[in-house]
Amino acid sequence: MIQAIGLTKRYGDLVAVEGVDFSIARGEVVGFLGPNGAGKTTTIRMLTGFLPPTDGTAVIAGYDIFSNPIAARRAIGYLPESPPLYPEMTVRSFLTYVAKIKDVRRVERRTAVDRALERTALTGVERQVIGTLSRGFRQRVGLAQAIVHNPPVLILDEPTAGLDPLQIGEIRALITELTAPSQGEAQHTVILSTHILSEVDAICRRVILIHQGRKVVDAPLSELTSGGRTLDQIFTQYTARDAADPAAFPAKPIVESESGSAS
Amino acid sequence: MRHVASVAGRELHSLFVSPVAYGVLSLFSVLAGMFFIIFLNVFEQYYFMLQRDPAQLASLNLNDGLLREFYGSLSIVLLFMIPGITMGVYAAEKANGTEELLLTSPLTIWDIVLGKFAAGAIFIAVMVGIVGLFSSALFFYGDPEVGRTASGLIGLLLIGWTYVAIGGVASAIARSQTVAFLIALVGSMTLLLVPGIAELGIAGTAPGVADTLRYLSVQLHFDPLLSGLVDTADLGYFAIMIGGFLVITKAIVESVRWR
Repeated sequence: MIQAIGLTKRYGDLVAVEGVDFSIARGEVVGFLGPNGAGKTTTIRMLTGFLPPTDGTAVIAGYDIFSNPIAARRAIGYLPESPPLYPEMTVRSFLTYVAKIKDVRRVERRTAVDRALERTALTGVERQVIGTLSRGFRQRVGLAQAIVHNPPVLILDEPTAGLDPLQIGEIRALITELTAPSQGEAQHTVILSTHILSEVDAICRRVILIHQGRKVVDAPLSELTSGGRTLDQIFTQYTARDAADPAAFPAKPIVESESGSAS
Repeated sequence: MRHVASVAGRELHSLFVSPVAYGVLSLFSVLAGMFFIIFLNVFEQYYFMLQRDPAQLASLNLNDGLLREFYGSLSIVLLFMIPGITMGVYAAEKANGTEELLLTSPLTIWDIVLGKFAAGAIFIAVMVGIVGLFSSALFFYGDPEVGRTASGLIGLLLIGWTYVAIGGVASAIARSQTVAFLIALVGSMTLLLVPGIAELGIAGTAPGVADTLRYLSVQLHFDPLLSGLVDTADLGYFAIMIGGFLVITKAIVESVRWR
């Protein structure tokens, strides 16, 4: 469903992301991990077509982001790091607008918006102006705009950043619900970017860890933690090693063959 | 086309749920009313002054004596007001983070640029409609020429659309709305004042360049329309200006991706 093929982003001499490959099958829920500044957001922005890769490409739902960008973008629901909202619009008018630009057909628009409101538990505030909503509600509106066109691919960039524990719980429950196959809805393939490890534990079945722009881990969560190690320890092992002499710590990247590609 | 309409619709929606649109329209109506009364008084005084001079009186008419001045002044009002309308079109998207939503939606850059321009163009059409209302009052009390009145209004519309296109460029460049406002104002003024600069500075030394610069002026192409002269060359000038600024806007919006 989602294929990254040698995704690379350079800014002059600075390499933000280097040769990231992965392949995510339909219905998978993948935790996209990495410390701040590892290149998570840059990779995500390349997948969603916001930033063009310097090298490599990605294929979303069978559409190449270079040769078929419009169809690829249509297949994606995307919640950026800060939810993209117009503060002066009401929740419903905003979602209706998003449905329009995401090519939801006119006859289905109303139901699509109703369904998104329902799934994100926003039905009570649909007439409220977005600017007056609390942060947790705004995040939910952000999620609603990502799912309003019922996209096969859902890309969420740090959806719980800056929320209080209660709101984090709500958003997590929501994501879990979205990823569970339910009432005839198409099953979403999800990439969840985060640096909160418990979130991955709670929601994801597979982990991709990137560090300094490269993929260092790509394996099912169950396999990673099978040796009794916690995700915490794994994360620290792969992301802290540059602090010491890299040669003294020859940790071989764990790359699972599920994706068919080894790096 | 459907996407252009969606983008334009949202833009207008945002203008009209905020006080900006109503503020601008009210202020514009008040200013238009003031200018109308002023020029009406001036016209009246001329009319009485020329009572003893039938030859001169015969050449006095509402189009030259009133509407020309009225539209000319309003073109200056538009120069100052339009940057206020357009300053947010792209700058606010950047501030809201909705730029990322637009650019990851199945929209082309042209859908976005044309949609936003269309919204501005419609808003200006409403303003020119207000001017038309004032003008139409004259038809009850006098007999201005319909054609010349209409061509003057078209001129006002085209000059407004040109400023909207400039405002779009400014808003696409700037990160903050204040900066967008200033760039748009300076840009529009430059386009208006170019002939003066040409005349003063380089007319003597480089007449060729001075002529070109003078040709670029908005005023040079607005004046004939005020006089009722609809020349395709002038219409072409506005089309090229608006089209050119839209192409520049498109390039700037697209360049976000390549940074």
